[in-house]
Amino acid sequence: MANLLWLQGGACSGNTMSFLNAEEPSACDLVTDFGINVLWHPSLGVELGDNLQKILRDCISGAIPLDIFVFEGTVVNAPNGTGQWNRFAARPMKEWVRELSDVAQYVVAIGDCATWGGIPATAPNPSDSQGLQFLKRNHGGALGKEFRSKAGLPVINIPGCPAHPDWITQIVVAVATGRGAEVALDDFQRPKTFFQSFTQTGCTRNMHFAYKVSATEFGQRKGCLYYDLGCRGPMTHSPCNRILWNRQSSKTRSGMPCLGCTEPEFPFFDLAPGTVFKTQTVMGVPKDLPLGVDKKGYIALTGAAKNAAPAWAEEDIFVV
Amino acid sequence: MRNEEEEKLRQEIGDLLASGLKTQTEPFPETQVEFAQLLSDVRKLDQHDLKGKLVLSGFTDKPYGPDQMRCLECMYYLVHRKWCDLPELDLPVEPDWYCRLWRI
Repeated sequence: MANLLWLQGGACSGNTMSFLNAEEPSACDLVTDFGINVLWHPSLGVELGDNLQKILRDCISGAIPLDIFVFEGTVVNAPNGTGQWNRFAARPMKEWVRELSDVAQYVVAIGDCATWGGIPATAPNPSDSQGLQFLKRNHGGALGKEFRSKAGLPVINIPGCPAHPDWITQIVVAVATGRGAEVALDDFQRPKTFFQSFTQTGCTRNMHFAYKVSATEFGQRKGCLYYDLGCRGPMTHSPCNRILWNRQSSKTRSGMPCLGCTEPEFPFFDLAPGTVFKTQTVMGVPKDLPLGVDKKGYIALTGAAKNAAPAWAEEDIFVV
Repeated sequence: MRNEEEEKLRQEIGDLLASGLKTQTEPFPETQVEFAQLLSDVRKLDQHDLKGKLVLSGFTDKPYGPDQMRCLECMYYLVHRKWCDLPELDLPVEPDWYCRLWRI
């Protein structure tokens, strides 16, 4: 039996909605098959007021062992570092977060807001929001760079806006079943099993990427979304085209550009007008090239690929 | 519109350019903001205003600039159809032509 507590800070509940849609394993499987005891969750918990505060205080005192502390949403520090803009159970949420993180075996940040601040922390960041251990790319966040949970791990970051339900449940199961030490993390403390490959890995438009054929409108089935519509698939670490959404599709498969929501900078360019769904260019060349590709190589590759492109690459090959 | 009609229109565009049609090749839209503004201006033209499209987008019938930019390497160019797939232009072109909406 592993006790799990889930709290929300500056959040839209998107990750909760995602979590409740999990299938492999499902949220119910966590309880019935993997022995996870959900102490409290904002959408599932039945305790209110004093009863809820008692659970939280018992976790902090050790009367209830806290195995997994899941946090969704930002840690709100406004105004003036007090955190009073996000009060919960009679005190600023940031104080609960600090004390619960100190006693938890594992701390898991779910979604962009909890990992790096996400949309609430976008400039000018009026709520003075932070992620648990990062603020965008800056290591530190609300718990500080050196934070380690009782099991000796930093915060496990599962980013996304929202995170895919199965990323959440699979990591929760891993730590609940004693395999936490096997969860290898990357530099941003994301589980490598999910975040080593790119969104582009497994994208059905890869042939159009290779032959430099561009999609020019949303929903088109031909063409790559990177060249014109701002797709960040080649630069974004996520398994969105390996572990499909709703088990059947992904944004890029359905003709919508990847927004790069698993990366610390999301939302990119601080949402300045004209930067969303449009590839940013300088002198006609994309500002953000596929990871590891330089401008010279990119231009050379484009010429060669265009010359070699077969006729079918220009047609809609996905016929219903 | 395919094949013959496309070829006819391509020829018409080629003739216009060869006859010395003055087009706005400069300034090149260096940033996305400038590019978006130019696209917006092209969008405002009558859909059938061929000359207007060619002038505003700065068409030339030869590669342009020190890097010899041309349709062949442009992201919107469909090699086999010899077509500019940018919705705002949507025109038959030749691989060695160029316009300032060029992107790679």
